[in-house]
Amino acid sequence: MQPILEVKNLTHTYDESTPFSFDAVNDVSFSVFQGEIIGIIGHTGSGKSTLVQHLNGLIKPSSGKILYNGTDIWEKPKEIKKIRSEIGLVFQYPEYQLFEETVYKDIAFGPKNMGLDGEELDKRIRDICSLLEINNEYLDKSPFDLSGGEKRRIAIAGVMAMNPKVIIFDEPIAGLDPIGRKSVIKMIEDYRKRYNATVIIISHNMEDMAQLADKLLVMNKGKLIKFDTVANVFGDDQTLKSIGLNVPIVTKVFSNLKEKGFPVSKKIFTIEDAVSYLLELKERGEHFA
Amino acid sequence: MLKDITFGQYFDTKSIVHSLDPRIKILLLILQIVFIFITKNIYALLLAFLFVLLSVIFTKVPIKIYLKNFKAILPIIIFTALINLFYTNEGKELFGFWKLTLTTGGIYKAFYFALRIVLLIAISSVLTYTTTPNDLTDAIERLLSPLKILGLKNAVHTLAMMMTIALRFIPTLVEETQKIMNAQKARGADFENGRLKEKINALIPILIPLLISSVRRAYELAEAMECRCYSVNGDRQRMKILKCSAKDLFAFLFCLIFCLGIAILNYLF
Ligand SMILES: Nc1ncnc2c1ncn2[C@@H]1O[C@H](COP(=O)(O)OP(=O)(O)O)[C@@H](O)[C@H]1O
Ligand SMILES: [Mg+2]
Repeated sequence: MQPILEVKNLTHTYDESTPFSFDAVNDVSFSVFQGEIIGIIGHTGSGKSTLVQHLNGLIKPSSGKILYNGTDIWEKPKEIKKIRSEIGLVFQYPEYQLFEETVYKDIAFGPKNMGLDGEELDKRIRDICSLLEINNEYLDKSPFDLSGGEKRRIAIAGVMAMNPKVIIFDEPIAGLDPIGRKSVIKMIEDYRKRYNATVIIISHNMEDMAQLADKLLVMNKGKLIKFDTVANVFGDDQTLKSIGLNVPIVTKVFSNLKEKGFPVSKKIFTIEDAVSYLLELKERGEHFA
Repeated sequence: MLKDITFGQYFDTKSIVHSLDPRIKILLLILQIVFIFITKNIYALLLAFLFVLLSVIFTKVPIKIYLKNFKAILPIIIFTALINLFYTNEGKELFGFWKLTLTTGGIYKAFYFALRIVLLIAISSVLTYTTTPNDLTDAIERLLSPLKILGLKNAVHTLAMMMTIALRFIPTLVEETQKIMNAQKARGADFENGRLKEKINALIPILIPLLISSVRRAYELAEAMECRCYSVNGDRQRMKILKCSAKDLFAFLFCLIFCLGIAILNYLF
């Protein structure tokens, strides 16, 4: 099967040909398949944002290639706008990019730039709003009158309204309260289910990553350290620890229990897994305490 | 691009120029600018060129960075040169067509004025490349302090504070603009193509978020400053004491030779 996105030996050098030049992304290669959810983790400054801005052609690689459905996205530079409508990118703190008078108009900005208008445009916006549970009463409000969490939802809806086949989120839940976090995660899941989209998420929240992602991509100082299933990445806590990242708290609890000699044999990454595993142990009659 | 404008940035290459007293640097810059302006002939200007080149080398900031600056203002330099080239009727006429005549005097003047702009920008860059914005405004406040006697104490301080903040936020604004532009591009905005009207309309999605975030930042900064009991009134002590040293004397002598040289060449030719 052909990957939907393929990154080949991507390097990006900031301030090239000055004494301050350095590689923010350094020889990174990986493939993403249709329908997958990829999580990107890594310290601040490890090059995550720089990496994802290449994927929809916002920045040009210093060297290396990005293939979308097998073709180089920079093959025809004139058609980069089309690539940007198929590969959506939700920036970090997207609420700071709202600018229209009403929520409706702001959500319409992306689809309009793609050439939609009239009834088609209206239908597109109503569809996405009903999918994301954005109430009609919001649509005529000024986006600047909304709360931080609501603004974030509107800004994300603005990108989703373009119906991208691949959608990338740069720290979508950063700075939100637990309720806001849940609602953003639900938006991502709902969008993915409806459009069978491919999703890439940058996040520092290991719990959410364990729950959402199929595969994790670990970045450190511009280099790709590991690209593997969630179980394999969180299973190898030595590597993560060596670059100063954590595994989910449940995973830590269980490995500590194991160290203390309790009869837990499995690696656990989410609360749900933990609950069902403990129930299973109980049913088998193994005493835990 | 926005990022090509290096004028006003600080490059920490730790040279001898960096360690000079910023007050001295500002005064010497003014002196040098005055003397570059009063050069009367090409010999004096070439001497100025030599001195500016030496100053540039002393800063240890790569020449490339200085050159980047000129890329941004190249149109102005070319425009000045062209005007002088064709509107001077001195010396031997080389050739003429329509109403334009090219004379040796014209070539001389074009070169002279273009070089003068280049020197002025280069020598100003020497100051901003080697002095942090904080030192710069601190020095300006100190240099303006005689005005305090006239009862303008708060005005001097407010002005200096405003400059510090403005300088501090230039890179932040550039970065923010870049980020907002990218975010709107990701939503299909197009800043390169289209007619003038479309291009102007395309600015709205950048300018409004930029304006809003600037106001937000200003509020946050004001609050943070007030939380630390900042007020324009009242006497404050300096964290950093500016001191003149032997290096400053050396820099002063260097400039003195430069000025004398220009004066002599002006007089001789
Ligand atoms: N526009 C830029 N110019 C120069 N350096 C940059 C720019 N953007 C980011 N960087 C640098 O590149 C590195 C990686 O940044 P980034 O991709 O934002 O990392 P992350 O998203 O993982 O925090 C950082 O060291 C950052 O300072
Ligand atoms: Mg980032």
